[in-house]
Amino acid sequence: MRRTILASLAVVLGFGILLAALADAQAPPPWKQGQPANMADSTLAPIPQPPVPKAAAEIPVDKIKLPAGFKVSLWASGLGNARVMEWGDKGTLFVSSRTAGNLYAVIDKGGQREVKLLAKGLNLPNGIAFRNGTLYVAEIHRITKMVGIEDKLDSPPAMEVVYETLPKDVPHGWKYLAFGPDGKLYFNIGAPCNICIPPDTHANISRINPDGTGFEYFAHGVRNSVGFDWHPVTKELYFATHARDWMGDDMPSDRLDVAPRKGLHFGFPFCHQGDTPDPEFGKGRSCSEFAKPVLNTGPHVAGNGVEFYTGSMFPPEYKNRMFLAQRGSWNRTQKLGFRVMMVTLNPGGAPKYEPFAEGWLQGNDIWGRPVYTRQMKDGSLLISDDYAGAIYRVTYQR
Amino acid sequence: MLGAVAAGGARASDPDAGRRKADVACASCHGPDGNATVAGTPSIAGQPNFFTHWQLIKYRDGRRKDPQMSVPAQDLTDADMANLAAFYATQRPRPRGSKTEPARVAEGRRLAQVHHCTSCHRPDLSGQQQVPRLAGQDFDYLLKLLRSFKARTASDLDGLMTMSAQPLGEEDIVNLVHFLASLGADSPEARP
Repeated sequence: MRRTILASLAVVLGFGILLAALADAQAPPPWKQGQPANMADSTLAPIPQPPVPKAAAEIPVDKIKLPAGFKVSLWASGLGNARVMEWGDKGTLFVSSRTAGNLYAVIDKGGQREVKLLAKGLNLPNGIAFRNGTLYVAEIHRITKMVGIEDKLDSPPAMEVVYETLPKDVPHGWKYLAFGPDGKLYFNIGAPCNICIPPDTHANISRINPDGTGFEYFAHGVRNSVGFDWHPVTKELYFATHARDWMGDDMPSDRLDVAPRKGLHFGFPFCHQGDTPDPEFGKGRSCSEFAKPVLNTGPHVAGNGVEFYTGSMFPPEYKNRMFLAQRGSWNRTQKLGFRVMMVTLNPGGAPKYEPFAEGWLQGNDIWGRPVYTRQMKDGSLLISDDYAGAIYRVTYQR
Repeated sequence: MLGAVAAGGARASDPDAGRRKADVACASCHGPDGNATVAGTPSIAGQPNFFTHWQLIKYRDGRRKDPQMSVPAQDLTDADMANLAAFYATQRPRPRGSKTEPARVAEGRRLAQVHHCTSCHRPDLSGQQQVPRLAGQDFDYLLKLLRSFKARTASDLDGLMTMSAQPLGEEDIVNLVHFLASLGADSPEARP
């Protein structure tokens, strides 16, 4: 009982600190917060999400470049703000969105794809996960489930609440959601700012049992991770993190991390990219206190989807290689990212890090933003694009 | 709630088709060119294309609610929304002629800096992309909306306005509205 009261107090105090921070009349909008005086005239700002998807004819798939032997085609379009893709047991592809507030189902009908709108008006429903016939959906403020959804695509079941003791902060409040090898549901609670001392309730990866019980923090000091996966062999959690803005075009790097066990701290807001103390919050702290990244993936690249390849269509060296979809930069003069990278882990050495799919960025102009990947049963790879509202399919033939 | 999504996504928008749709669907309240004259009704003339388009989408899917807008928005097709947004973006905004008090305008001008309104709405408050034009907007509408953001009941695309409104007291809100409403289409701040 006493512990429950203390825990509740901690939550209340956490929110209290946040509210106090919000009450600061000087606080700029989160995307601009942390901008030093010498950058006050910067015209950089987040890239706005187009209100509607691009028409198929307006999507220049031929601009996407891949390694030799790979081919890419437009698999589905008209899915506004398409984000996370998850397979149902019976072959339905569930697709989430963020600002569009929609949840889609895509049904493959022999060369044609039919898109159904399952739900709309949701609160940035980025995270979806599927298990035993049930689709789990993570919005900002709650995790819900739709039981038996695949049999009811034309009249979806009600969204039953699984868990709703979550912060309601919108900045970095959208979630990735995935089942771990332990059968628990993992999701992020991002820092509600660009750079700040977050409340204890934020800047982490958390997990619950699928029935909503057993909430616990799994990883700390994670600014915002909206993509993770578990290594097929070691079963360790690998996750991508977006680093802070307004430290210049080339600083700090985004990260790829591994959390082999519960309770590690990954440095936010004290230390960036494993070796750079924050100019403001790093004082009196040392980077040696925190877990080091597996790989620094580049400044402002915005790594989202993390997926280990387990299929057999691609060449053998692709087995257990990671795809890292990078939605791309806004806080950088010359844009960077807008591509799918591959990471080949090398135990005891630096990972190999090279492009897989690129071309959404032409010069300093973009026409799309690759955001997540998902393998198909046949080993081909789907890539979602939340800017064009499309899904591409990558195949390989030797 | 349900329905198949039109395959293929959006076509390029057509401002002329938008004008024809506006004549029958919107003009009676918002004026033939998007410059409303009824207090409490916002002007849409000169609003950024993305902004108007997003609001129509949100009225139709229910995330933004309004006694006048929620029902008619149900009848808009995807093409209507794109065309209307494109049409209104090409129209020239006119001042609403709201009566404003110089002392409050001066204080509101200061508050707009302190609260970083200009970070997203631009230094001239003319808006950009998904962020609306505020310069010269209707006094009563601005007041209602800012109070709703403060009360956390207004629809927000990404939470920024709800968050930004929290430090504002009622006096601050009134002063900001005096300032924003005082910016006519021809005032230095509002000139594109």
